[in-house]
Amino acid sequence: MLDYFQVDPLFDNEAQQTRAAARKFLDGEVMPHIRDWFEEAYLPTGLAKSFGDMGFFGANLPVEYGCAGLNNIAYGLLMYELERIDSGIRSFASVQGALVMYPIYAYGSEEQKNHYLPKLASGEMIGCFGLTEADGGSDPGAMKTRARKEGSHYVLNGSKMWITNGNIADIALVWAKCEDEVIRGFIVPTNAAGFSANKIKHKMSLRASVTSELVLEDVRVDQNQLLPQVEGLKGPLGCLTQARYGIAWGALGALEAVYYEALEFAQSRITFGKPIASRQLVQHKLVEMVSEHSKGLLLAHRLGMLKDSGQMHYAQVSLAKRNNVRVALEAARSAREILGGSGITVEYSAIRHMLNLETVDTYEGTFDIHTLIVGRDLTGLGALD
Amino acid sequence: MKIICIIKQVPDAEARIRSTAAGIDLEGVTFVIDGMDEYGVEQALRIRESGVEAEIIAVALGPKRYEEAIRTALAMGADRAIHLETEEAFDPITQAKLLAKVVGEEAADLLLVGGKEADWDSAALGAATAEALGWPHSDWTTELELTANSAKVTHDADEGSEVLTLPLPAVITTQQGLNEPRYPTLPNIMKAKRKELKKLSLDDVGGAVSKIVILKQEIQTRERLNKIIEGDPMEAAQQLVKLLQQDKVI
Ligand SMILES: Cc1cc2nc3c(=O)[nH]c(=O)nc-3n(C[C@H](O)[C@H](O)[C@H](O)COP(=O)(O)OP(=O)(O)OC[C@H]3O[C@@H](n4cnc5c(N)ncnc54)[C@H](O)[C@@H]3O)c2cc1C
Repeated sequence: MLDYFQVDPLFDNEAQQTRAAARKFLDGEVMPHIRDWFEEAYLPTGLAKSFGDMGFFGANLPVEYGCAGLNNIAYGLLMYELERIDSGIRSFASVQGALVMYPIYAYGSEEQKNHYLPKLASGEMIGCFGLTEADGGSDPGAMKTRARKEGSHYVLNGSKMWITNGNIADIALVWAKCEDEVIRGFIVPTNAAGFSANKIKHKMSLRASVTSELVLEDVRVDQNQLLPQVEGLKGPLGCLTQARYGIAWGALGALEAVYYEALEFAQSRITFGKPIASRQLVQHKLVEMVSEHSKGLLLAHRLGMLKDSGQMHYAQVSLAKRNNVRVALEAARSAREILGGSGITVEYSAIRHMLNLETVDTYEGTFDIHTLIVGRDLTGLGALD
Repeated sequence: MKIICIIKQVPDAEARIRSTAAGIDLEGVTFVIDGMDEYGVEQALRIRESGVEAEIIAVALGPKRYEEAIRTALAMGADRAIHLETEEAFDPITQAKLLAKVVGEEAADLLLVGGKEADWDSAALGAATAEALGWPHSDWTTELELTANSAKVTHDADEGSEVLTLPLPAVITTQQGLNEPRYPTLPNIMKAKRKELKKLSLDDVGGAVSKIVILKQEIQTRERLNKIIEGDPMEAAQQLVKLLQQDKVI
């Protein structure tokens, strides 16, 4: 692990073991294929089971529901290792864990938890999270998807856009406005009549990840499919805080990958009789990468400590997600530049990470939206809405 | 039956290790369980999974940091562990004597030892431990099958292989190809935290004095010549051949 400031000794044994096990598995089973998967826009179905076997889904949720029960720093390192391979692969696990399993765990009934969580943890069942709609993902409160109560059922109508895992999901966690104008969450089986998913094609980012549009036309779900413990926008936003936490760690994994690739290339690439790594301009780029990785890792570690002690504030998560993703994106662009012409092919990972990180910089709250969240927290004045 | 797997911790294959005037600088290096030892743990687990009732114990002799490798063995599925903790470095003959005491006290039926250490390349420990215990030994083992009181093994010879049977208790040292070790899963890492890890000091096993004193250790370094042969391709090729012959590369 890239660790210029010796943060590793601050991790407990559980975290170190998690990181080592995840890296070993991912380097052995996923890394050798990721370039092809990205190029072919492919995510093998078998990955769900092997991730489930490894305990990668909802790994920070309790053992009683079939999860690993990791502390949040160990969980963060898992996200780091996943994204060191590919942001799409990390998204596969973090949507399942933070955006599907977490809301069922935090807002679900005991029956819902017992029924869904073990299956989602083992990878037997895949979930997706439907919040964003085509008209402005940054403003989810303006959603148009509706849920109408009819006897013991709810009837859902509307559509969701940019939904990770949409086409491969067995259940969709759909956020909809009820007749009282309050947003509530529903566990919708994707085989319900009136539910359809359309794969989004022509993506140049997160290609080894399925992204879909969800369409709900008079989809009837039993009232027991409603998440009973939460109402309003704080439901989906609570999930996003979990996912953003993981992303703050994950992005640094991508940064590590592009840094080592750029370093190795710069040390062996010779122009004008000398390795390009001996040039001040190239060294500056490498130093910036390590500098930002070091700061980001310390930030993520502290954030994890705050999360484990129940003190983490959502604006701190916004700051960490905003910062760590942007520095990773900039590092990927610089790594791509150091690689010269070679950098434009997926033979090297820099451009793949760079393209992926464009999504990561946008989803789960864009860079600018997080600026406004932190800005509001600092000044007490809302520039967002 | 009781199976003991000897565990060693070594620098990760990707670790960048430097040698300094003072010796080998392991600062900031990531350590992992030796891959050859992992074959041993995996084999023990497979024996149990094949239906043999077996208790699997991971035993390590080494510094405190070895705990992490021991935890990996526990996370793979070993039942408990014994750590003979010392910051001192011992030669294989002395190590074998110390380990033999632990193995003897546990009255194990089978001892699995990594065939060769990934760091210092020594293959002595398995054979030395067999000698210290007075048990039969199969080295470079690529197949292992247990019957009631014996082990049938295939092991690599210099050019080829041999099939042997050994009465139990026996020492088996591993070779690549014996199996494909499983990955420790996150739930099993968490379970391993609650498994017993017994600590022993050298005094608990009667103490020891190393037979060998290490004076100096050095890491092989690869230095590039960075020589570029300029000019006409034909002449450059001839010059290259000459240089390669000079350095006895060809
Ligand atoms: C590959 C991928 C996977 C995704 N997966 C999921 C998923 O699984 N589930 C899900 O629900 N969503 C998902 N999303 C959606 C994602 O969260 C949204 O794309 C994101 O929130 C931005 O919304 P938008 O695309 O509608 O852009 P908009 O909200 O329209 O924003 C466009 C631009 O305007 C800026 N902007 C918006 N409002 C303001 C303002 N008030 N002040 C200043 N600037 C502003 C934004 O920063 C941005 O630059 C995914 C997106 C992608 C690309």
